[in-house]
Amino acid sequence: MFAKPATLTLTALLFLGIGLAPLMALLVLSLNIDGAFGLDRFQHLWSSPKPWQLFGHSLLLAGLASLIVIVLGVPLGILFGKTTLRLRAPLLVLFTLPLLIPPYFLSLGWFSLLGREGWLVRLFPAAETVAKNLADLLFGLPGCVLTLSTVFLPLIILVTAMLLQTVNPRMEEAARLYASWRRVLFYITLPAIFPGIAFMTLLVFMLTLGEVTVPLTLRYDAYPTEILTQFAAFYDFDSATATASPLALLAFLMLMTEWYGRRWVMPDLRPSEASLMIQPGLSVKFMMIMAAGLALVMVLLPLGALGLYATLDDFSEAWTRGYDALLRSLFYAAVGASLLTVTGFFLGLLWRERTCCSGITQFTALLLLILPGTVLGIGLIRLWNTPETNWIYASPGILIIGYVIQYAALPSAVLHAVLTRLPPSLEQAAALAGARWWRRLLSIVLPLSRRGLLLAWLVSYLFCLRDTGLAMLVYPPGEDTLPVRIYTLMANSRFGLVAALCTLLMIAALLPLATIKLFRKRKESP
Amino acid sequence: MIALDFTNVWASYRGKPAVQDFSLHLKPGERLVLLGPSGCGKTTVLRLAAGFLAPDRGTVILDDKTAAIDGRLVLEPEQRGLGMVFQDFALWPHLSVHDHLAFGLKARGVEKAERERRIAETLRLVRLDSKVGARPGELSGGQQQRVALARALVTEPNLLLMDEPLSSLDFELGLELRREILALQERLGFTLLYVTHNLDEAFAMAQRIVVMREGAIASMGSMQEIKASMQSLLMSAE
Repeated sequence: MFAKPATLTLTALLFLGIGLAPLMALLVLSLNIDGAFGLDRFQHLWSSPKPWQLFGHSLLLAGLASLIVIVLGVPLGILFGKTTLRLRAPLLVLFTLPLLIPPYFLSLGWFSLLGREGWLVRLFPAAETVAKNLADLLFGLPGCVLTLSTVFLPLIILVTAMLLQTVNPRMEEAARLYASWRRVLFYITLPAIFPGIAFMTLLVFMLTLGEVTVPLTLRYDAYPTEILTQFAAFYDFDSATATASPLALLAFLMLMTEWYGRRWVMPDLRPSEASLMIQPGLSVKFMMIMAAGLALVMVLLPLGALGLYATLDDFSEAWTRGYDALLRSLFYAAVGASLLTVTGFFLGLLWRERTCCSGITQFTALLLLILPGTVLGIGLIRLWNTPETNWIYASPGILIIGYVIQYAALPSAVLHAVLTRLPPSLEQAAALAGARWWRRLLSIVLPLSRRGLLLAWLVSYLFCLRDTGLAMLVYPPGEDTLPVRIYTLMANSRFGLVAALCTLLMIAALLPLATIKLFRKRKESP
Repeated sequence: MIALDFTNVWASYRGKPAVQDFSLHLKPGERLVLLGPSGCGKTTVLRLAAGFLAPDRGTVILDDKTAAIDGRLVLEPEQRGLGMVFQDFALWPHLSVHDHLAFGLKARGVEKAERERRIAETLRLVRLDSKVGARPGELSGGQQQRVALARALVTEPNLLLMDEPLSSLDFELGLELRREILALQERLGFTLLYVTHNLDEAFAMAQRIVVMREGAIASMGSMQEIKASMQSLLMSAE
């Protein structure tokens, strides 16, 4: 009788405790001046023009990238979610690829194309001036906007396409009696899914604002890079903490506005009955060709250039110099994903109950997701770097804890959607047959959620594997992950070696996806 | 003059045959009810008439114009000039009652003054003039049904399709709205194609009834003829 409330309350308390403690540590320590409350660090930080300038740069970058993402992502989401053309599946995979790898890989891809020894100059030596001008553009705001909008574009595409499946097709049919598809989409369909798109835009804005590796790679002075500089270059923990706090506060305020402004947070991704599809006419086919061109330029061109840059010798050296980091990355990602799936399952169960605990945990999970990895990293260091907890801090456990609290929102959202779709009568029938809550969970809910669990694991795995911002700060000595190893090798290694290591990680990211696809194909074939 | 005509129509829905060799002819101003159990193809017939579905084979004619033929939609839904009331009303949650009615008129390029006049008149007709600014969430089930009806009527369609419009209302309200729909149909003179699985409702609404079974017409006739055929069926069963 008490098993369910006890388990769900324990889940909520554990998650809130472990998730919020680093933020509390960040806040308390940044306000603690020699044992007394004080705003000196903030006053000192904000009294110089530099942080204002950096913050302005970051806001500009996040604003521009979010604008591009929404302008391109919504029409592409409609194209992939509302039409039946064959090309949409491979194109969707192509557009999603940048989200599955560390964001700075795309910057490196563009560099391999436009750099001094890049493909453009190699193939067309006469185009050296053009390549130089393009490279000048790449190293700065335009390059960062291009890279980050490509990285986060799939978020809006996927959510738009998924939300379109939840729109009641009768609503669209009622409108189709009077108006063309374009008008119906603009006046009926898009307003119905607007809250979901608005939330995802906020997410993209915050993720772009907190991204550290792309501005560092493309030498664009952004605010989050300052945290890393204070921490890694000057070893000034207090300044790093004070620099990180405003970003945490901004994330909190933006989420609060969204939460109370709309009283709506997680997109409800329960599909309605068969969605009404747009018949592929000439304009749809034209749009699909445009989308193919966009995918080619934004994704295939830079990543293909990066992959092709490495020679066989580069791959051989990459394996020698990076296999330990690769194996560690795979192991940490697998452990992190497994823990995230368990956390997501119980948080999904909690969110299904719609109690106050579910609201608070939902808010916290989202806050931790939109928080820059560097900010969370500083919080984790300040919390766990003590003599008593050094056994965790000095082990990969700190990284796994970081993964679990930063990405818990993702598997939880997937499993919440899956669990909400299970008819309550299935569990009610088991209860009437005498099964207690744990038994119902293990023998009814869990088996029926297995596809959702697999998806949650996969999403978590990919996000843990690509993580760089958090891992950069908290990896234990000699235990770096491959994205961090590549990042450190970038400064003083041959570009071919870097390209080969990036390709190895891309293969590692795609391997489980390909395995599942192959497994499903075998299962489907007679 | 033909209001709606199906000639040897075959259609499938989600890969399954839904309507088979279906032929039906509706005269202008007629009230015809499609009656039958769930899954017999009634709603598919409405979807074919509205243009949400193209027939695999056969012809659909609307107002003497070919609307669809052999797997091809000749007229898109918005070109058919008809109205429809859906089972779940299909109201747009973000739009007010006024905007629900204005949507179709705007899409058809009706001038603002004329638009407002028609909206006011239609809302008076369905007794919703006091709810002009309300959104669907602020209305009762009966009021929502009236909005759906007003939205369908405001564009002055020649043919009105109704897909089990009273099934989600309670019995008393259903009876009241039944009377209102009949009164409106007599007053405005539109052709009505009405789908239900409720025998009483069918007898109350129809001038002619088509009984459907497994995607085809099982019997067709006036209320008296259908009653008689049902009685003979019952007697033969005894």
